[in-house]
Amino acid sequence: MKITFKYMDQKLCKIVKNPKKTLTVLKALLIGSFYIIYYRTITKTVTIKFPFFAFYRVKITGPGSVFIDKNCSVFKNIYEGLTIVTLSKEAQVKIGKGCYLGGLTIYCYKKIEIGNRTITANSLVQDSLFCEINRVKSLFKETDILEPKSVIIGENVWLGALSCILSGTIIGDDSVISFGSVCYKLKVKKYSLVVGNPGVRSLPIRHVLLLSEKQ
Amino acid sequence: MKDLIARIRGECYRIKCKLFKKNVLIKKGLKIYNKLEIKGKGKVIIGQNCVISGLRGYKNYYVTLYTHSPEAIINIGDNVSLFGVRISAKFAVIIGNDVLIEDSSITDTDFHSIDRSRKTPTNENIERCTVVIGNRVSIAAKSIITKGVSIGDDSIVGPGSVITRSIPPNSLVLGNPAKVIKQMASK
Repeated sequence: MKITFKYMDQKLCKIVKNPKKTLTVLKALLIGSFYIIYYRTITKTVTIKFPFFAFYRVKITGPGSVFIDKNCSVFKNIYEGLTIVTLSKEAQVKIGKGCYLGGLTIYCYKKIEIGNRTITANSLVQDSLFCEINRVKSLFKETDILEPKSVIIGENVWLGALSCILSGTIIGDDSVISFGSVCYKLKVKKYSLVVGNPGVRSLPIRHVLLLSEKQ
Repeated sequence: MKDLIARIRGECYRIKCKLFKKNVLIKKGLKIYNKLEIKGKGKVIIGQNCVISGLRGYKNYYVTLYTHSPEAIINIGDNVSLFGVRISAKFAVIIGNDVLIEDSSITDTDFHSIDRSRKTPTNENIERCTVVIGNRVSIAAKSIITKGVSIGDDSIVGPGSVITRSIPPNSLVLGNPAKVIKQMASK
């Protein structure tokens, strides 16, 4: 029991602060452990580690492999839970420890990695421009635009609501993607902020904080 | 197995429209994987070998074709595939052949005027507000197409873009408002 309590300390702090939430947390743990057994029996490619808190529904489909690490939790955001769709056999989705996944949707062809302790709102992560890529490829001659490229998201990143992260983006540690912004073939440095559709360049957060202090 | 069920559903819907709805004209070879909803008194034409389905991983996203006046026309060409698209027309929406559209919305009106009365806008005509989408165009998810826009042949619209002005052929478009990023080689 000591091992399980070690990873649950974040949730235990919440319970100590307001003890009315014990029932909801226990219910989420029960539903999460149901999802672990459900996906282990039906598919062999999906693995979820034990302390998994599901406050809303989880849906994983497709032939590719999915790996979710310890102590993740899923929330409800604009009536959407976590949905992961893998569209080919070589697809790999990897989610790190202690992530807060609210309403995240993932469409994967090749490879998507999400680091430890990231927070996501209702946002979209794709490693290609289109979901039905084989139908689109038959129409166009220049297909290098449509080729899927892997997406890597670092540790402790915050993805804002309604943001899209598309093929070929690499996001550094501790950075923030703001509300409604779209990243396409963008390389974000450490500890920086991305604004706009399309997001062109990233601002370092230290400068933004200094400007707000001056005002 | 899924293709056969979709084929049968499409054929049943075609016969139902032929008997009861006289403003809807559907040609042969329709496949319906998820729900299709047609409302309004305007005219709707769907071409040969079309595919209609929802988004992958969701059940509650389905295709809706709404017409808001009896003179309105929605004209969809051959070999078109629609994935969770919302189309609402007051004048005319014309879509060409071999088009693919994912989870996006197409409108040709503003529905309300800008001034305080919030009545129906008076300065809208058929010439100013028709939406025309060319042949072999593909439109990605979460994009919005507003009134009076024409998209040229063989062009790609990226995810999350809002299109307010017309676009030349053979171009890749992204952003809000949408700008041309790259000109592609023609086939």
